[in-house]
Amino acid sequence: MLSSARPRGYVWRRALIVVGMTYVILGGFLLPFPRVDNILGQTHRNLFFHVPMWFTLMAAMGVSAFWAFKYLRTRDPLADVRSVEAARVGLLFGVLGLLTGMMWARFTWYQGTGKWWNNDPKQAMAAVQMLIYAAYFVLRSAFDDETRRARIAAAYNLFAVTTVPFLLYVLPRQMASLHPGAEGNPAFSEITHPLMRAVLYPSFLCFIGLFWLLYTQRVRLAWVQRRLHPDPLAL
Amino acid sequence: MTWWRSAWAVLEKDLRLEWRSRLAFNTMLVFALATVLLVWFALGTQPVVPSVQAALLWVVLLFAAALGLGRAFVQEEERGTLLFLRLNAAPLGVYVGKLLFNAALVLVLGGVACVAYVIVLGVQVEWIGLFVLVLTLGALGLAAATTLLAALIARASHSGALLPVLLFPLLVPLLLSGVRLTRHALEGGLGWSGTTDGLVTLTTYPLALVAASVLLFDYVWYD
Repeated sequence: MLSSARPRGYVWRRALIVVGMTYVILGGFLLPFPRVDNILGQTHRNLFFHVPMWFTLMAAMGVSAFWAFKYLRTRDPLADVRSVEAARVGLLFGVLGLLTGMMWARFTWYQGTGKWWNNDPKQAMAAVQMLIYAAYFVLRSAFDDETRRARIAAAYNLFAVTTVPFLLYVLPRQMASLHPGAEGNPAFSEITHPLMRAVLYPSFLCFIGLFWLLYTQRVRLAWVQRRLHPDPLAL
Repeated sequence: MTWWRSAWAVLEKDLRLEWRSRLAFNTMLVFALATVLLVWFALGTQPVVPSVQAALLWVVLLFAAALGLGRAFVQEEERGTLLFLRLNAAPLGVYVGKLLFNAALVLVLGGVACVAYVIVLGVQVEWIGLFVLVLTLGALGLAAATTLLAALIARASHSGALLPVLLFPLLVPLLLSGVRLTRHALEGGLGWSGTTDGLVTLTTYPLALVAASVLLFDYVWYD
């Protein structure tokens, strides 16, 4: 059972994440990385923000599906709250990742073509994932009864997970990717300078940490609101 | 009652009820035929390349199916027979019966709609065998994806508009492989080797959806 008191060690974990994010933002924008004289220019700095956002989306998907599974097993209302909030925060990171990716692609890969949306499998995968979460929230709003809503939403959440391996199999066979590591493209580690990795790897941890901060805060907020307003329609 | 006997009983009951009113089938059929005619009016006399023909055919089928297949559980809720079914039949049997009913419905609908589409738009099908195979597998995939979703939305408010919203994101793997293979069937000239990827997806995806549905159906079925 979740208490409204602050969990132990929360303050220093939050401080660590704030300091880490500050380092990532300052380092990502200011450190003198070797300049690559091709179409990238200075845009490679987007790497420190765009890529961790995707990792966070994937982590959030996993967390949301895990708590959906726990909900069906235990019928604990807190598991449902966790599943929803992970999906909500994950959706936020997904939209940000999609926007940063679109900007980046528009001014590098598609420079001069004026294209904002293109046939990239990773982009398509993300778009489908956003659509599934949007449908998940629409489905939730269609139920007034709280336990039924939680049960049905958890079942849809897990049912939607079935698509993921198939999308990973089908999409790369239908569209060519320009992302690193795709067929014929150099792997990620071959094209990044050691100095860049010194920012990128902490950035992964910090973005996951930021997700954890927002997610736990939202869960506690939702849980407190639930106890203040037992009326299911007030949530 | 063992589950296969309940499945058979549910299928028989649904077929009989559907035969009496023909509501779901007629809705889907008229919708599909009207959409085919609309596509024909919209395209006019312009020649259309096979990739566009394949895409339009699948879009017509998806929308028609999303319209009618959600009825499976909603009608039980409307008639107040949900509780009766819950008491008398094994959950697996109910799921399998509804799945078979939906599959039968969408297979007949797909057959009629495809024939109408091919005739009205003057589509040349070079490789009929693949065309029939792909659309059959696609129809089964549609039934596999919609049956559990129909059970999810049975007691939701505004269940009519809800099914397409839930269904379309889940159909992306099916649609991608289906449209590509349909294009091959329309163009012809490509051996079986070029179709392996698509056929693997079209056969395994419905199976995975059915497996996931069977695992989740108990949680959806009982309050």
